[in-house]
Amino acid sequence: MNHPAAPNLTVNDLAVGDDLPVMPKNATRAQLFLYSAASFNPHRIHYDRDYAQFEGHQDILVHGPLQGAWLTQYLTDWCGPKGRLTGVTWQNRASALPETDLEFRGKVTAVDSATGDVELEVWEQTADGQVLMPGTAKVRLPLG
Amino acid sequence: MTESLIPPETLALVGEPLSDPVTVVIDQREAQRYAHAVGDLNPIYFDEAAATAAGYRTLVAPPTFVSHAPVPPRPMEALREDGLYLTADRIKLRVDRIMFGGEEWDFVEPVHVGDTITAQARLAALDEKDGSKGPFVRTVRETTYTNQDEVVVARSRQIGIAR
Repeated sequence: MNHPAAPNLTVNDLAVGDDLPVMPKNATRAQLFLYSAASFNPHRIHYDRDYAQFEGHQDILVHGPLQGAWLTQYLTDWCGPKGRLTGVTWQNRASALPETDLEFRGKVTAVDSATGDVELEVWEQTADGQVLMPGTAKVRLPLG
Repeated sequence: MTESLIPPETLALVGEPLSDPVTVVIDQREAQRYAHAVGDLNPIYFDEAAATAAGYRTLVAPPTFVSHAPVPPRPMEALREDGLYLTADRIKLRVDRIMFGGEEWDFVEPVHVGDTITAQARLAALDEKDGSKGPFVRTVRETTYTNQDEVVVARSRQIGIAR
């Protein structure tokens, strides 16, 4: 995946209510395996479909922390190199499955043009609009 | 009256450390392996010039990598049937399953490759609740990450749903 050219976003470019651009994600089974390995996570529900179904899941599941890491990627990509992600929260409400189109979306909820601090409502949803992971974020952007 | 899912000795742990602090050096290859596994190819994780141009001292690690770097190596014999490790900490609950419920992070200072990070986890909260699928316990495990200069670089609060 190509890293999108980060814009030179400043706090003056933003207003409450602005929408962030959508970031699509779709995890292969190989990616789930690699994330299990890179995060030292041997939980079987992420690589063994029979076991995941025994626990009542439809398929193997995308790790909650991988979806959280995608959320931080969504925000740091949007902020650009001079922006800083200062806080994030997320709730894993419903399971995300591999080989499924997912979307990260966000909206500006507060802007402080004196400090550059911006607050956001962010979430991960399926292509048909089911919210899997709601959250919030704080970033600090360069002053305009 | 049904028995609480939280034994009294576990309730007494709220506010207490969950284990000894763990100290680890942030390794460039592990941090980059993590970035690739996420699919987050931000140049500040891979290109020193891009990292310094963005105002960092050197390469940085992806934001949430710091919570995975301190995970200790453990033998396969310590795996349960579900693949999780037998719990090394002291939270004992009368439940079968713990699901990852979410996380809250404060990112205070950047975590650079080569930094020495000490992670200290404590049990921040334990609440028994009634959900649509029956009673459950919400656990909050708060970890503070401190660097070699004794600066707190990040705090995470990991939410567990145990039922």
